[in-house]
Order: sequence, then C-alpha cells, then structure tokens
Amino acid sequence: MPTAVDSPAADLVVAEGNSTGLARAQRGESLTGWAFAAPFAVLFGLFLVVPAVYGLYLSFTGETLTGANSELVGFANFGEALSDPDMWKSLGNTVWFTLLSTVPLVVLSLAFALLVNLGLPGRWLWRLSFFLPYLLASTVVVLFWTWMYNPKLGLINGVLAEFGIAPVAWLQDPNVAMISVVITTLWWTIGFNFLLYLAALQNIPEQQFEAAAIDGAGKWRQLFSIVIPQLAPTTALILTLQVLASLKVFDQIYMLTNGGPAGSTRSIVQYIYEAGFTGYRFGYSSAISYLFFAIIVLISIAQYKLINRRSAS
Amino acid sequence: MTSSDRQFSRRRLLSGAAALAGGSLLLGCAPGARDSGTELNYWHLMTGGDGIVMAGLVDAVNGLNAGFRAEQTVLAWGPPYYTKLAMASAGGRAPDLAIMHASRIAGYAPGGLLEPWDLDLLAEFGVRESDFPPLVWQKGLYDGKLYSVALDTHPFVLYYNTEHATKAGVTDAIATMDSPEAFTEVATKLQKVTGKHGLSYGYLGDPSQMWRLFYTFYRQTGAELKLVPGTKAEVDEAAAVKALEFVQSLLNDTIATRSGDGGTAVSEFLHGESGLLFGGVWELPVLKDSKMAFDAMPIPTLFGQQAAYADSHTFVLPRQSKTDPDRRRYTYQLVAEILKRSVKWAGAGHIPAYQPVVKSPEYLELKPQSNYVGIPAYVNYDPDVWFSGAGSDFTSYFAENVQNVYLGSGDPAAGFDGFVQRLNKLLDRPQPV
Repeated sequence: MPTAVDSPAADLVVAEGNSTGLARAQRGESLTGWAFAAPFAVLFGLFLVVPAVYGLYLSFTGETLTGANSELVGFANFGEALSDPDMWKSLGNTVWFTLLSTVPLVVLSLAFALLVNLGLPGRWLWRLSFFLPYLLASTVVVLFWTWMYNPKLGLINGVLAEFGIAPVAWLQDPNVAMISVVITTLWWTIGFNFLLYLAALQNIPEQQFEAAAIDGAGKWRQLFSIVIPQLAPTTALILTLQVLASLKVFDQIYMLTNGGPAGSTRSIVQYIYEAGFTGYRFGYSSAISYLFFAIIVLISIAQYKLINRRSAS
Repeated sequence: MTSSDRQFSRRRLLSGAAALAGGSLLLGCAPGARDSGTELNYWHLMTGGDGIVMAGLVDAVNGLNAGFRAEQTVLAWGPPYYTKLAMASAGGRAPDLAIMHASRIAGYAPGGLLEPWDLDLLAEFGVRESDFPPLVWQKGLYDGKLYSVALDTHPFVLYYNTEHATKAGVTDAIATMDSPEAFTEVATKLQKVTGKHGLSYGYLGDPSQMWRLFYTFYRQTGAELKLVPGTKAEVDEAAAVKALEFVQSLLNDTIATRSGDGGTAVSEFLHGESGLLFGGVWELPVLKDSKMAFDAMPIPTLFGQQAAYADSHTFVLPRQSKTDPDRRRYTYQLVAEILKRSVKWAGAGHIPAYQPVVKSPEYLELKPQSNYVGIPAYVNYDPDVWFSGAGSDFTSYFAENVQNVYLGSGDPAAGFDGFVQRLNKLLDRPQPV
C-alpha cells in the first residue's frame, strides 16, 4: 500500500521542515479518507454487517415470526437442513440452473460480441438489441415470456404448430420448465456479458492483428491465438460474476413458475424465502442461508484459485 | 412567450406551490383540522373487478362523512399480501383494518397477530351473529373468540352454456346430475355439440385450482381431512382416490383438455368451445361482460353428500402496539357500513355473508348469483391448521404431488400418499405461530 511518504508532495513536506508537519499531513489525509468512506461504511454496517451477524445468531435459535420458541437450539437447525430432502432438491435445482445458464451465457455472449465486432452495417442496432433486454425489470420480462410460453395461446407453440410440432407445456411440464427458465434468463441477461466482451475486444491493439496477418495467420488462427487469450481476464471476470448471479437466482423463477411444477424449479433462495416468510421459521431459514453462504464462499475460493493458477502458468 | 416570461411563470408556480404547502401545513396544525376526519388504514388484496367494486364501497362509506376516511392499500393476492400483513402485525404497526381469507385465520389468530372483535360494539353498529350463516360465522371463531367478520362466501361453482345445453338436450339433466356417470354423460353430449370439449377446467401451474375441485369431490364422499399439530393427518384414502380418479377421467382430452390453465379454460368457455366450466364465482363479471348465454349453479352432488369448496373474505383487526379507542370505533363503523352495502359486492359474483342483504329483493333479482345462494349452508373451508388456507404453501404441496395425476400419468393413490406424507411432516414440527 502506498503511504504518504511515497508521494512527491510528502517528500516536499519532509524536505521543507519537521516531522510534525508530516504527521499532520498524514492525519489530515486519513481524516479525509474516513469522511469519504463514512456514508458507505455506515450503510454497510447498518444494512449488511448487523443483519448478517443477527442472522447468524438467529440460525442457532428456533425464532419464528411471532417470537414463539425463540430459545437457543444449538445446531438443530443445521442438522434439520442437512437431512431435509426439499433443501437438497432446491440446492440441486440451483446448481442445475447455474450449469445450464452459465455456459451459454459465456459462450453466446462471446459469439455475439465477435459477430457485432466484425463491423457489420448497423452495428448500433445489434448492440442495442442485445443489450436492451438487460435494462428491463424482471417483472416485465416475466410478463411477456409468460405469454410466449402459454401452452394454448403462446407465440412459441404457435410457431411450432406451423411446423406440425405438438404443443409443449413450457412452464407446466416438470421436464421442460427449467429449460424455459434458462431461456428467459439468457434472453434477459446476456446483454451485460456481451457488453463486457465488446469493450474487451475493442481494447485489443490493431497492430497485433496486422502483425499476425503479415505472418500469414488467417482469421480463425487470429481468433484462437490472439482474441481468445487476450480476452482471458474478461472471461474469468464474467465467469465469476455469472456463477454468483446464477446461484442467487430468484425473481424470474418465482414469477414464472413459483418453483413449480412439482418443485422442479424451486431455487435455494426461494426455499429460504418460503422457510422464513411463508413458513414463519426465521431460525431455520437463517440456518439454510448460512449453509448456502458457506457453499458460495467455497465456490468462490475454488474459482479464484483456478483462475490464479491459470494466469500464473 | 419569451424566456423571461417563462421564468417568471415558473417562479410564480413554485412560490404558489410553496404557499399551498405552507398553507396546508398551517391547516394541519389548526385545531379545526380534526373535522376533516380520522384517517383509517385499510389493507386488502382485491384487484381487477373486485378491486373496482371494493373501491366503490369505500368511497360510498367515505361519502357519509361520519368523522373518518378509509384509505385503502391494495397489495398483490397470495403470499405477498399475507407476508406483509404478518410482518406489519408482528411489528405492531399494522393497518386499522384488513381483509383476510377465512381459511387463513388459523395461521394468524393463535400467534397474537389479530385482535378479537368486540361483539357488543359490533352489535351497536347492527352486526350480530344471527345476521350470518352459522358455518360462515363459526369459521371466524378461534378459542371461543371472534377473530374475523365475513364479508362474503366465494365458492367453486359450475357454469354452463345454456344454448349448447338446449342443443344437446341436457338442460334437465344438468339440473339433476347426481353421480359421476351422469356428469360424464352430460359432458360427453355437450362435447358432441361443441365439437371440441364438453368441459373447461384450468389447473396447470395453479395449485389452488387443483385443490378446489379435488376438495369439493372429496368432501362429497363424506370424507374429512383433519389436521391437528402433533398428530398424524386424519384422511380417507379410498375417498381421495375415488375423487382423483374421477378428475383424471374428465381430463382425457375429449371431455376436457389435459393441459389447460385457468385463463385458457375461461376463454374456451367464452368462445363456445365447451359447454361446462368449473370456476370460482369471481369469474362471473368476465362471463357477464361477454354477453354469452350462460347460467351458474353449485357443483352438483355426485358422490352422495352436498359439499362445496369455498373461502370467505373477512375483516380482521391486525395487532397494533398502540390502539386508539376512537379509531377502533370508526373501524367497526366502517365494517358495518361496508357489510350493509354488500349487495354491490355480490355484483362481483360473491355471496354476501350479511343476511339482511342476501334476503333483500335487490339481491334475489341478481342472476345467476341467487342460484347458488344456498351454498353457505354446507360450505367447506380448508382444514384449520396454521399452514393451510388461500395462497398458502398447503395447496402447493397438494399440487406438487397431484399434478401428474391430473395430467393422466400419475397414480392417484401414490400422489395422495405423497401429499399426506408432506402434511405429516408439517404436523410433526413445532408450530411457529
């Protein structure tokens, strides 16, 4: 961390005179720093740290909505969660959703960014159309995808019928519902990754391509030897953000299927919500939250190590 | 207009607004301000047609200038509404008055989230036990105290297309169906007339719809479903299988589509593509708007005993940490005034709970509402337990286990067993309220 001594201004202070001047400057700087950080720190403490610590405490109690059974129960909630088939099923659904959504969200966004970066006419239109859905509220997205998926009146089944394909119950068939949720999520959120890739693509120096072309490298060779390696840090960032976002999925599923049919799309966040807010068991719900938190921390550490090792080698 | 003009007028507008704001602040401090009335907070979950009728009722009561003004807050039906109401009550900052389904009282009254009604004060405003159907009144009781005052009963009923019925020659048969076979015969004859389906019933993705029809037939067999925390669920599996098999037999893609949701069912019936519709009385305004020829009746007794699934919108007093006796009095008055005007509420399809309204000629003239006015005498609410009731997870548990049965691929006994196991697990847990 750079200290005040490293900066030319501080050198000047030292050169000019005494050590108390230096201390005063340091103190002044740190005070300014604290003042700038204070609003954030206060809000962070009030709305994140305090609730998080309180939640950890709750997870060891039998706390309910009305304050009945609020005594300490030790690890009972954690034990119950680990032996709760519904918890495992929701966790499994969440992991499944993360796998299904992350891969296309990385691969497709890269493909779209590459296509747009080719310099086709009307580039602004392509950029706009990929990014626009990301700006919509989840309620709006869900509203019109619900119509698209409607088994009788929906656009998708209407188009399929033209090709003689039997109607699909997109949101009501336990085998298909998760795929439908993933499609909606892709359509809605791909714009953000797309934008990150597009920015990274435009940062690759043109000279590299020129040099490669002089050496006789074709377009595909350039893609695999220049573009994809240069995009590695962006890919690592997107992958990290995407895995975390997908693990926390809630709103679009809650509104599209409410976790159904037969619990086939219920995510772990929805299960936490149900345990706490409709089942009234805050203690139990906090315990599942903390288990889930532990899983996310583990995944993040694993991802960090993996990416670091790759960039080190 | 020059720019200086515009500036001038904007400044004038701003100063005018400031003067207004200041003026109203002053008024707010003035002793005379009390005359404008106490503002009562009233929460409910009526949207769409119901919401318009409710807003009209509130406006009518506010128009009396009886010293109070009810300010309504409308929240989304189901878990969003009940979660917010529970949170507000648990925190002691609840509204003065709220609407709640009768089937949810068991989840709220025991935890102290509701205050009981004072029967004497209700009587003072002309609301007494004798003014309500006995089953409807009793559903509002918990531990001997009255926790909810019913506004209505809203059952699941049978609608039929009168033109199709005449063409199929089943008009008399519809009125006298008394067995599953008789029902199937009528539906089949109607299917031949429409060329598409005989019956419309939407349930996909809608746990409540699945539950409403099942519970109607299950209770018609005379079977009960008793849920007491700490003990196993008391159920009649044979009866459940019988009811589920019958529903399954109807959803065979000829009599009714196997894969219909609520919206599709109503639109199918509206377009004359079916002759019968299982639906809530709350569908009535949409059907009436379409000007089609239809009628409505209670779901016929097919399994021997009269029974109907229904729920009631009821008035409750959520727990407040500080209550003001004057506000409370006004709240009672508000409820009484809405009940007395509830013939308007019947326009939305519901059966008013307040009997003086139901017996009025104005109500009896309403068709087809008065056809099913007898239902409150044999109504069946959801089992009384903290996790059941409208918009609760209870119906989701039912749907999770039974949707495959409805879709034709699941075994009725296995589906029902799965549901009962889930109930037993919930009954085994300590009650959170």
